Amino acid sequence: MSTTRTYDQQELEALVRRALSRRQFLGRTALAAGTLALGSSFATACKGKDATAGAGASAAATATKTVRVSNWPLYIDSATNGQFETATGIKVEYTEDVNDNNEFFAKIEEPLKRGQSIDRDVMVLTDWMAGRIIKLGYSQAIPTGPFPNKANLVDGLTNVGFDPGRAHSMPWMSGMTGLGYNPKKIGRELSSISDIFDPKFKGQVTMLTEMRDTLGLVMLGEGKDPGNCSLDDAKAAAAKIKKYRENGHIRAFTGNDYAEDLASGNIAVAIAWSGDIQGLAADNPDLRWIAPKEGAMLFSDNMLIPKTSDRPDLAATWMNYVYDPAHSAQIVVAAPYLSPVKGTAAELEKLDPALAKSQLVNPPEDVRARLHVFKWLEDAEDKTFNQLFQDAIGA
Amino acid sequence: MAGIAAGGGRRSRLAPWLLVAPGILWLLAFYFIPTLPWYDGYARTFTDYHEHLARSFGYALTATIAAIVLGYPLAYVMAFRAGKLKNLLLGLVILPFFTTFLVRTFAWKTILNDGGPVVHLLGWLHLLPPAGRILNTVVAVIGGITYNFLPFMILPIYVSLEKIDRRLTEAAQDLYCNPRQAFLKVVLPLSLPGVLAGSLLTFIPASGDFLNAELLGSPNQKMLGSVIQGQFLTVRDYPLAAALSFVLMTIIMILVISYTRVLGTEDLA
Repeated sequence: MSTTRTYDQQELEALVRRALSRRQFLGRTALAAGTLALGSSFATACKGKDATAGAGASAAATATKTVRVSNWPLYIDSATNGQFETATGIKVEYTEDVNDNNEFFAKIEEPLKRGQSIDRDVMVLTDWMAGRIIKLGYSQAIPTGPFPNKANLVDGLTNVGFDPGRAHSMPWMSGMTGLGYNPKKIGRELSSISDIFDPKFKGQVTMLTEMRDTLGLVMLGEGKDPGNCSLDDAKAAAAKIKKYRENGHIRAFTGNDYAEDLASGNIAVAIAWSGDIQGLAADNPDLRWIAPKEGAMLFSDNMLIPKTSDRPDLAATWMNYVYDPAHSAQIVVAAPYLSPVKGTAAELEKLDPALAKSQLVNPPEDVRARLHVFKWLEDAEDKTFNQLFQDAIGA
Repeated sequence: MAGIAAGGGRRSRLAPWLLVAPGILWLLAFYFIPTLPWYDGYARTFTDYHEHLARSFGYALTATIAAIVLGYPLAYVMAFRAGKLKNLLLGLVILPFFTTFLVRTFAWKTILNDGGPVVHLLGWLHLLPPAGRILNTVVAVIGGITYNFLPFMILPIYVSLEKIDRRLTEAAQDLYCNPRQAFLKVVLPLSLPGVLAGSLLTFIPASGDFLNAELLGSPNQKMLGSVIQGQFLTVRDYPLAAALSFVLMTIIMILVISYTRVLGTEDLA
């Protein structure tokens, strides 16, 4: 996993486009019959955007079919799925039922182990969990036929340790874990991880239940690198969290739900995911997200097709649709994370020029340089770290 | 003669035990023993998680008592004094069930908000220190549990009060009881089965509850239910989670059995 992103490499994009149009030409000839049958709806499907043509063509074969997607809350705009349905004729059952990697895994593990359907065709999980699922053989390869836009994946993410060549997984969004706060309420700006532990904020701090985010950020505050940490580093960080939990400094450990407390002013500082704050800013323009000077955590959430899904082609068609830069930009406007789709920056410039310049979707070099990815934990180690963390957060 | 009779009685009491003995021995040898003393999860319940355990039962007990204090007068009014309003009151007690448990608990999060009306009012009355809060404290957790289980207390008490023959209180007054004595000597004892049933319906689910602690409490109010959830879903230490559940269940059973022994169960239905 690389911590650097390339969003506007014009030359590369041009290359990708050329390669794409050649492939699509072949695809179109083969599906000429489908094109005829679809008539005008096909014309709508590919208006202006060459990249969606493949998806549009497959609609003939998959009309009235349904693709079932499980994703995290606040991670897509309200229009994209409807537009996909119109463009392809494939229905989308989109559920926001992933709130915690471990909890979701606990739900799907048993049926997948027994080879039973989990009634999902796409699920979005964070790097380490995606890696675990691929390793256990609970995912299947993503069909490349209906997915020409796969080539739009940014270079930094094409090869990851847990999935060489991205055969089984495709990033949905990448995000940063840093600090969220309201400068008006607390009367000052924050810059450091140690600000979380400022006695002034006693009882007004939340941290995330996601072990790698919270433990990683606290480690960074201690001057340790979560990308290369020892068990002792984890113990030290866990002990610090436990101390501040027991003395009442930390008010809660949360998933996405810290957002309400931050917006309503119940809490002063939260360990927060970069995109959430922008989403809240519509109602609370004062809220701010920063990557602390000691560093911030970087994560990617990945789309996977469960082993037992019987419609991988539909899943790939949906992925193809969201991998179009224009569609990705539309999603980023609602969920301002780092899009892994090349050319999104240019499209975003047209949709929302202010957001396109924001550090949340296009972090400056100095922020990128201090992003860290938590190191890979083998199963036994993962259990030890989780046990430490659960004890620290009092659950 | 007496000796023989007693012996016969003992034999007939022993007979069923002897008949089930093979089955029990089988279960002990192949089910119970392999899991119990060789696995440290049970011990860890009392070493690592004794605080959670104490909170679970402490909160459940406090909430049960609070529910009796709040629920009994309401049930009494409904049964004896409400007249035409009886059905309306019953409806109001049941009304919250039309929305889910989860939504109602979330509503309390909004009501008890730091900037909300309750906190403002209590601050204004100087019942709450400046910068004090209710949300994410013990008060909110116990309050949430009491609120969520209150109908389970009110309804059985109401039923047992409703069943009481009114002529009994009249008779008590004829025998020179004042209303207070009539209540204490006639109505209260006759309604105890309802209180017992209500306490069980409140205490048992409340001690296994984790949602109220999760949503209305801070990390220092987590109950054993939260730990079980975390061990099952996050750490995935299934044996430990199972041991914790088993200990919780056993303690509840012991408490319930001794409680019903003390108060008697004949009229529980």
